[in-house]
Amino acid sequence: MRFGRLTCGFVGILALSAAAAAQSPAVVAAAKTPLPSVKMDETQKGGEKTLSVRVVAYNIDAKLDPVKHTIDATETLEYLNLTGQPQQTFPFHLYLNAFQPQSTFMTEVHRSGTRGNGPGSGWDPLHYGSIEVKHLESDGVDLTSQMQFIHPDDDNTQDKTVFQVTLPKPVPPGGTAKFSFTFHDILPEVVERTGYKRDFDMVGQWFPKVGVWWKNAWNCHQFHASTEFFADFGTFDVKITLPRNEVVGAAGDLVDRHDNPDGSMTLHYSSQDVHDFSWAASPSFTRVEDRWQGSAQPVQIIVLISPGNMSSAQRYVQAIKGSLTMFDKWYGPYPYDRITLIDPPHGGEDAGGMEYPTLITGDTSWNMPKGILLPEIVTEHEFGHQYWYGMVATNEFEEAWLDEGINSYTEVKVMDALYGRNSFANLPFAQMSEDQAQRLMYLSDPDTDPIARLGWKFYSNNAYGAVTYGKTATMLLTLEKIIGEDTMRNALHTYFMRYRFTHPTGTDFINTVEEVSGRDLKWYFNQAVYGTQMMDYEVSNAHSDPLKWWESSIGSNKDAVYRTYVSVRRTGDFQFPVDLVVKFDDGSSATEHWDGQDRWMRYQYDRKAKVVSAEIDPQNQVMMDRNWFNNSYTVEADARATHKMRNIFVFASEWLSQVLAWLT
Amino acid sequence: MASARPKAFLSGLGLTWKWQRLVWWVFAVCLVLAFCAASGSIGRLGDGINHSLASKRLVDGFEISAIAELASAPDAPLQASNTSSTAYTFIFLIFMLFSTGGILSTYVRDEYPSTSVFFEACGYHFWRFLRLMLWLLVALIPVGIVAAVGGAMYGHLDEAKISPFPAVHAAEGTAIVVVFLLMVVRLWFDMAQVIAVFEDEKRMHKALRLAAVLVAQNFLSLFWLYFRISFIGVLLFAAGLHIWMMTLAPTATVLAFVVSQLMILFWIGTRMWQRASEALWYRDYRATQEAMQPVWTPAPTPVIEPVVVAVDPATT
Repeated sequence: MRFGRLTCGFVGILALSAAAAAQSPAVVAAAKTPLPSVKMDETQKGGEKTLSVRVVAYNIDAKLDPVKHTIDATETLEYLNLTGQPQQTFPFHLYLNAFQPQSTFMTEVHRSGTRGNGPGSGWDPLHYGSIEVKHLESDGVDLTSQMQFIHPDDDNTQDKTVFQVTLPKPVPPGGTAKFSFTFHDILPEVVERTGYKRDFDMVGQWFPKVGVWWKNAWNCHQFHASTEFFADFGTFDVKITLPRNEVVGAAGDLVDRHDNPDGSMTLHYSSQDVHDFSWAASPSFTRVEDRWQGSAQPVQIIVLISPGNMSSAQRYVQAIKGSLTMFDKWYGPYPYDRITLIDPPHGGEDAGGMEYPTLITGDTSWNMPKGILLPEIVTEHEFGHQYWYGMVATNEFEEAWLDEGINSYTEVKVMDALYGRNSFANLPFAQMSEDQAQRLMYLSDPDTDPIARLGWKFYSNNAYGAVTYGKTATMLLTLEKIIGEDTMRNALHTYFMRYRFTHPTGTDFINTVEEVSGRDLKWYFNQAVYGTQMMDYEVSNAHSDPLKWWESSIGSNKDAVYRTYVSVRRTGDFQFPVDLVVKFDDGSSATEHWDGQDRWMRYQYDRKAKVVSAEIDPQNQVMMDRNWFNNSYTVEADARATHKMRNIFVFASEWLSQVLAWLT
Repeated sequence: MASARPKAFLSGLGLTWKWQRLVWWVFAVCLVLAFCAASGSIGRLGDGINHSLASKRLVDGFEISAIAELASAPDAPLQASNTSSTAYTFIFLIFMLFSTGGILSTYVRDEYPSTSVFFEACGYHFWRFLRLMLWLLVALIPVGIVAAVGGAMYGHLDEAKISPFPAVHAAEGTAIVVVFLLMVVRLWFDMAQVIAVFEDEKRMHKALRLAAVLVAQNFLSLFWLYFRISFIGVLLFAAGLHIWMMTLAPTATVLAFVVSQLMILFWIGTRMWQRASEALWYRDYRATQEAMQPVWTPAPTPVIEPVVVAVDPATT
């Protein structure tokens, strides 16, 4: 999911400006260093080669009422017990029940806001959503009355997003449990990436989904205001019945279409080696298709565009193709034969910027300027989740940084490669790069929470977004400074190839980075991931005095030697080695490497030249440094930037005065 | 559309040019106040970035992130002092309220005003124009209601329609109507000010009533006059903005300052042009009206014819 409202805020401001010059996508050459070879782990099951260990097999038969925005469905779930022990009690998610006033989700939203536009702190009955299990049985035994709502994360007895059921007898290791559900969904008006808007239905997290046996226990968290999802890999066989005029995008291959006598149609989808299935329908969609040839296989690209947004269709397609290319080249092959993008309609933007396996949602508007790369960014970000969530299926509840954070980092790298330096905003009069966008998000709340915090335990939603997305991306960009960009890319490639179709942890990621880089990086991760230390270095002073300052003739002596002092300070608690470059007026320079362990350091030079400037981290590689403006000191003042800002301030004030004077 | 009094448009420009010192004076006050408004923030900003190499991020381009970083820094060098900025804007409002009487008097009389005469006129009309401004705020309420209705219509269409464009068109239509109404209201109050000065009308409600009748009876002529000058003002402003944002190099700070100040100067100039044209229009209108009055001529003195009375000698 894109934590996109910061983006939208900027877009909202910048969209008022004049249309900007287009940027031609230009794919930059990939890393020069060859990627390490990692063998693809294929799992044998009954003689069939599969990409993942298929724990679950869902068969769902659903019927959509597009007027009432409700779904009636039956579901059978076969759960393969690979836990290594008998299992008798199974937990299930009922995510749609989050959209009720007393749910944990809404309680948290009311307290501290939500991730997107969301329902706000108030309650709007239109945002009511629910999933009711009308019937549940297993092996012919009716278990409906055995269902028990549980709340593993808090004491909210009104939360109905998780229930558990106990079978009459345990399922032995290697055995299969079979569940049959009959359920009824009421979709909310779009909230938190799910629901309807007019004739548009975005159907996500809509069926009873079993928890994950992980770390020797069931992992099935309630739905929180700032958390996402976690599920096991398997197969989905889904039939959707709906009116024939509906255009459908779904996270699976369409294997059959059947026109029913009542004027409806039934679409049959199949998907393997994924952990979720979602779909969207609207009679107003325009379908745009394209193809891309990857290293694994050709991929069909399907984009369903909402009315008014056709001008963004090719922007979406090009962003998908570019992302496929870069991910395929840098991190590993895309193993699916399709990717579908749903473009939400106007007013339904809260369904935008969301990822499901092989299906993503975009974000644009009818008047999106070309210089604002929001459609491209959202597309790239959600596509990136096919890797960091879709295949490397980390626990989004507990370690959100592993999907959102790593994905935000790769978003920076891919967007820069595809669209150049100013890949966030590229207007004639204002620019912003992707890495700066991530850094700004980090700076909005840099030290309230550590990165490695349970998703629902953050101080606020802003803290969750700033730390999980922005700080993690910034942390990884800074890590490049230590291990190098190519090594970082190799580490991610190794991490992907090693852990795809599994549920790795933060430790797995850190160990992989250490292994590939061949360095002990715990000193860094302990501060950056597990701590809340702030990083800020400054050049506090730089000046030169004649060595023999007491001699009066020193001013006219060309051979005079000057003593230069440069003082640098670490004003934050984050210890990090930095480089210092000191430049002198004879063109010479000196480079120092400071380990940053002490609070300050003073450097002294005796030269026949005076200091001109001193700068810490001249390449701006230490992205986590909170303030770049105090990283350097020039002896001569340069007020051009101040003059420029004064121009803008003065003009703005004058213009405001003129507007007000209109009243006279 | 033909103007009933075509001279007012160009003559107004001539009058503005002739008394251009007024334009320069208003511009100078506006500029000085804006400098004062910006000084606090800019002073802090200078302390923070003048000795930093990172300031090049603002010199060689306009990095939004650099601005945001400065605004979010712990010592917040860029955090604008909104209170002081707003205060200076209100000072300018009071200044304009004060000086409008003097400016209009100059245009109406078309005579060189000595300082004392000018400021006497400013003070003489100040309270009248303050009352007019309060009336203006009342008159803007219906315009606000129209805007709110338009906004509600936009919201309804945006919610109900599959395509975004009906709502967009509704918003565009509302914007046109609101701008039109704002221009009409401003024109009405401009003419009330002219009447107040020209006729030395003390009762502003009467001036407003007379101006309403005047504008209603001569709507096309007056609105066309007002609209043309407004259009030129907006055009000049847009051209300036285009040059500043799209054409000038990011490093051309001095040129950017010149362009931005020319934009403000022209904006003030066109507003004064409107004032001058309206004053001339009214002067012309009154002259025409007076010329059309039937000339009073005293009734001829009755000539008393000598009555010839026939006298009958017989009766005498």
